[in-house]
Amino acid sequence: MGGDPLAKILTVACAAGAGIAPAAVELTQAAAHLAADMEGELCALMLGVGARAAAPALQAAGADEVITCEEESIADAPGEAGLVALVEACRRLRPTLVLLAADSLGRDWAPRLAYRLGAGLVTEVTDWSVEAGRPVFQRMVFGGKAIAAMAVQGEVAVATVRPGAGRREVPPAPGRGPVEDLGVAIPLAPRWPRIVARQAEERQGPGLEEARVIVSGGRGLGGAEGFLALQELAAAFGGAVGASRAAVDEGWAPATWQIGQTGKTVAPDLYIAVGISGASQHLVGCARAKTIVAINQDPEAPIFDYARLGVVGDWRQVVPELTRAVKEMLPG
Amino acid sequence: MHAIVLVKRVLDPEIPRTAFSVDPERRQPSVPRAPYVLSVFDGNALEVALRLREARGGDLRITALTLGPGPAEEVLRKALALTVDAAAHVLGDEEALGAVAKAEALAAAIRRLPPPDLVLCGRQAADWEAGQLGGMLAEALGLPCVPFVSAVLDPAGTEVLQQLESGQAVYRLRGPTVLTVTNDGQNVLRAAKIKDVMAARGKGIAVFPLGELLAEAGSQAAAPEVETLALRLPAPQRRAEICEGETAGARAARLMRRLRELGAV
Repeated sequence: MGGDPLAKILTVACAAGAGIAPAAVELTQAAAHLAADMEGELCALMLGVGARAAAPALQAAGADEVITCEEESIADAPGEAGLVALVEACRRLRPTLVLLAADSLGRDWAPRLAYRLGAGLVTEVTDWSVEAGRPVFQRMVFGGKAIAAMAVQGEVAVATVRPGAGRREVPPAPGRGPVEDLGVAIPLAPRWPRIVARQAEERQGPGLEEARVIVSGGRGLGGAEGFLALQELAAAFGGAVGASRAAVDEGWAPATWQIGQTGKTVAPDLYIAVGISGASQHLVGCARAKTIVAINQDPEAPIFDYARLGVVGDWRQVVPELTRAVKEMLPG
Repeated sequence: MHAIVLVKRVLDPEIPRTAFSVDPERRQPSVPRAPYVLSVFDGNALEVALRLREARGGDLRITALTLGPGPAEEVLRKALALTVDAAAHVLGDEEALGAVAKAEALAAAIRRLPPPDLVLCGRQAADWEAGQLGGMLAEALGLPCVPFVSAVLDPAGTEVLQQLESGQAVYRLRGPTVLTVTNDGQNVLRAAKIKDVMAARGKGIAVFPLGELLAEAGSQAAAPEVETLALRLPAPQRRAEICEGETAGARAARLMRRLRELGAV
């Protein structure tokens, strides 16, 4: 391999108010561990208004050098403008590995960045190891039924990283290094698609990524009304409601409630799957739950091969009884 | 107005775990009598195009495009049965192709078709789930890309709805654009009518040899950028402990007891 003898990893984070999202901290920490394993260094690109103020949070999470870009076009055309910033940061830093979160932005940038850099791309990475000086990435394929180990052949690699990948018990040492502006103007190009409206989801209670308890509904609910019963159960726990892809496709739940390989990845203490058969792509989304409970009318449903505890029965009877039991146990 | 929808023939992702295994030598799935289907998000993309055509009173030409060996024709027949206007097949073995080469071959195919206003594909294929083709195809075509679109909002095809983790965004397009499509309650692929299924059998499909397109695109015939080193099954899990009881109330009570004993609540 030519170029720098040391590995150099670049991660990207978006400024969120005065700081950065927990997911960005998690990715930076995981990247810092990988950089240490490869005897390299970690740089970070921080995007969006407020990036400079948020840079110390990235260094605390293990990034050495930080490049910031506060161009306003990133808000209106995040895919296109963010990509310009990323390409320029790569031109300047010449990383051997670019790590992006497997979220809507990272998934937008990654294939396009890989194409422009002539880099190999591995997406939806769930774990990694270092072999012969290069990272070997793990990812789920075939709807979560198999695990592939993949490695990039060339000099530069791009990867998108799912929540929890590369996590270690002990956080990495904080990084140190310059914080500099990217120094390029990124005007909105005439042919870029632009965001003209946004709608944040309305949610009472915790979001799915933060909730300690999630009650999730699937095709077995038979209709949207079933989700009312799940909301009562979730509320009794102080938790959140999720959905399988089937329930979203039926129109019983919004897409933001979907949990699974192409929905959210969640890691609650308790995950209660109601009327969910247990398709492997759904389980990819909830496999990190500490305890999975399944409530299903069909004793042969695959979910019972993954849950820790199960109840075979009609949710119309079981869920209200469970809600009652929870309220008795956890008043207030 | 012309929309091109990319469609892929994939191993049925609904195969239960019990029927699925892998060939570790070839690093491919091993499923006897394997059922193949249209990749599910490509179905959502087709539905988005079909609905746009309806909103335009029929004034939208839809071309289905696939890349793969002979059997890939099945998904083009399915698209024709759903009344797309034309179908094109980049014929060749795609297993050994890298992602960039695939995108460049498809871009070369698209350049042989009437220029599109929209190019739609599923956000990821239901087999290898990489989610890279849409973005790479946009680059190869020199077009912008909006990913995770679930609907086109206006008959002019200039506004699209994007699904995000925390809500939605509306994008205004400013020219031909690649859209990658995700599912929601509004874009589940409709069922084909029997008469259309019959009619589809006789329709013509344009065939472009893969090698010819790769040469046209000036694509490197190099080895793929990414190597699959291993393919394995996840570790088997233990079956759930079932909370029994005469009544729903008794089962729920037992479940709560066990959750407390396990320290889960």
